[in-house]
Amino acid sequence: MTNPLNQNNSSEIISVEDLYKNFGPLKAVNHISFKVKKGEIFGFLGPNGAGKSTTINILCTLMKPTSGRVLIDGYDLVKQPQAVRHLIGLVFQEIILDSHLTAEENLYFHAMLYGMKQKDFILKKREVLTLCELWEKRKWKTSSFSGGMKRRLEIARALVHSPKILFLDEPTIGLDPQTRNKIWDYIFTVRKEKKMTVFLTTQYINEAEICDRIAIIDEGQIVALDSPENLKKMIGGEVIIFRTVDNDLAEKEFKKSFPEIPLKRVGGSFRIETNNGDEFLPALIKTITPRITSMELRKPTLEDVFLEITGRRIRESETEEKDHLINLDSILEFLNPFGPIFPQNNSAEEKNENNKT
Amino acid sequence: MKTTKPNLFPIYIIWYREILLYLRNHLKLFTSFFVPILILVFFGTGLKAFLPQNLLHYDFVQFFFPGILSLSCLVMVMSSTISVVWDKEFGFLKEILVAPIERWQIALGKILGATTTAVIEGALILFSAPYFGFPLSWVLYFEVLGIIFLFSYGVGGLGLFFASRISRMESFSILTQLIIAPLVFLSGALFPLNNAPLWMLNIARYNPLAYGIDALHWIFLKPIVSPSELNNLILFPFAKSLLVLIAFDFVISFLALRVFNRYLIK
Repeated sequence: MTNPLNQNNSSEIISVEDLYKNFGPLKAVNHISFKVKKGEIFGFLGPNGAGKSTTINILCTLMKPTSGRVLIDGYDLVKQPQAVRHLIGLVFQEIILDSHLTAEENLYFHAMLYGMKQKDFILKKREVLTLCELWEKRKWKTSSFSGGMKRRLEIARALVHSPKILFLDEPTIGLDPQTRNKIWDYIFTVRKEKKMTVFLTTQYINEAEICDRIAIIDEGQIVALDSPENLKKMIGGEVIIFRTVDNDLAEKEFKKSFPEIPLKRVGGSFRIETNNGDEFLPALIKTITPRITSMELRKPTLEDVFLEITGRRIRESETEEKDHLINLDSILEFLNPFGPIFPQNNSAEEKNENNKT
Repeated sequence: MKTTKPNLFPIYIIWYREILLYLRNHLKLFTSFFVPILILVFFGTGLKAFLPQNLLHYDFVQFFFPGILSLSCLVMVMSSTISVVWDKEFGFLKEILVAPIERWQIALGKILGATTTAVIEGALILFSAPYFGFPLSWVLYFEVLGIIFLFSYGVGGLGLFFASRISRMESFSILTQLIIAPLVFLSGALFPLNNAPLWMLNIARYNPLAYGIDALHWIFLKPIVSPSELNNLILFPFAKSLLVLIAFDFVISFLALRVFNRYLIK
C-alpha cells in the first residue's frame, strides 16, 4: 500500500518499528524495533519465553501485532499478509511434516499451496532435495526419517517456492550436536547459493556466534543489537572467573587492592572483566588469601554479554517447571454463547489506526 | 500469476490432502471398512434375531438402519474436522496457515474433505442395505448419498466451528458429551421421535441433525411402508427437511469459516 510497485531498493528487507504484542496482561513483545539487511544471517538470542517465537510468529503472519509497523520487503505485514507469505519460507520449532506422506508428497503439497506450476515444481524439487541430500530418499515416508532428516526436509520444503527470506525458529532444538552442525552447513550453503536473508532464533550461544548480527532479547525487549564481535568488545578483552573457599573475605580483599576494577558475584563464583588478563592474574592470586578452588581466564562469549546486560544466564530459565494445571477457562471457552464469535472490534487494528493519526 | 489461478484451486489442494491422508492412514481406512461389516454382521444379525415378531407394525431394523448409517457418517466427519484441534496443538496447521491462501479456502477444503470421507463410508455401508430388506436401486443409492453429503457437510461445519474455538484436546471430550451427545439423542436416529413427549419434540425441531436423519428415513421407508405408517415415523415433510438441511449447510459454512478465520490468528 505504501509502495504499489514494491520497488524496495533499500538495503533492508525486514523493518520492524515499535512492535508490541500483549497476551492479556502479559507483554510478550514489549516495544521492539530493528532492521534486517538483505542477505544477512540475523539471529535472535534469548532465553525461553523471552519473546523470540512470538516475534517470529508475527513476522510470519501467524499472529497479529497488538501495535507497531512491520514491513517485509516493502509490504505491510498487517495489510498485505498474502504478499508477505509468498516471500517467506518457514521452518518451525516443532517438526511439522505429514508423516503418512512421502518426502516428495510433503514438498508437492507445499508447492501447490504456494501456487507453483507442476513444471517448475519438478525442477525445484530436484534442486532442493539434492541440496539437503534427501534426493535418494524422496519416496520414503517421513515417519521413517530420523530427527535430522526431518529437519533437512523441512528446510528443503521451506525453499521450494524460492522465498526471499528464510525464517528458522530454533532450527536445531532437540538435535544432537553432530546433526546440529550439519543443519548449519545447509543453512550456510543456502545463504551462499540463493543469496537469501536468514532470520533465526536460538538459545544456543555457539549458534548465535555464527550470525552476521544478533539481537539479544530478554523479557520482550531487545537489550543489545550488533555483530557478535562488537557485542563481545563491549565486555573487554578477557574474562576471569574464580572461586574461593571464603568468598566474603576474598571480596573484601579484592576491593581493597583493586578498587577501580568491578567485581561481580555470580552464584558461588566471581567474575572480572579485564583487558590484560594474563598480567592481572598473578597479581590477583597474590592479593587473595583464602584458598582459590578454581580459576579460569578466557575470551568473552555471548553468554557473558547476556550475563553482563541482564545479570542472568541464558539457559537457567530452562529448569523452571511448566505449569500443567488444567485451565478451566480454555476448556469451557467454546460453551460461552456470548463469546467473541462476533467481536465488536479488533483492538490491533484500532491501535494501528490511532498510531497513524 | 496469482490471478491466472482459479480461486478454487487451493480448496482442491486442501481437499486432496485430506483424502490422501485418509487413504494413507490405514487405521482410519480400516475402521471405515470395519464399521459397515460390524453393523451388518453383529448388529444386523443380532437385531434381526431379537426383533422379528415385535409389536410394532414395521420392522424396527429398517427404522434403525438409516439412523446407524447417518451416525457412522457423523463419527467419521467429526473425527476428521476435530483433527483441527490436534493440528493446532501439534502445529500441522501452521504449515498451511503460512501459505499464501485465504483462510476460508482452508476451512472449506477441510469441511469438503471430511464430508467426502463420510460419503465414502456411507457408500460402503449402503451396500449392506439389501440384507436389512431394502430394495436397493441406483436411484435410492444416489438419493441417499445426496442426503448423506448434505448431512455430513453440516456436521463437518459444526465440527470445524467448535474445533476452531477450542484450543486443547481436553475440551474435546466435554464437547462430545455436552453438545454432540444431546444432538444425537434428539435426532431421531435411535428411536422415533413421534411418540416422544412434546417438550422433546420441540427441542428436536431445532436440532439440525434431526432433519437429515428424517430425510433419510423418508427415502428408505417410503417404498416399504404404507403412507399412514410413514406419517407416524416421519417428523417433517421431506421437502422441508431438505430445505432446512441446505439452509443449515449455508449458515454453518458461514459461521465456521468466520470462526476459523478469527480464532486461528491470535
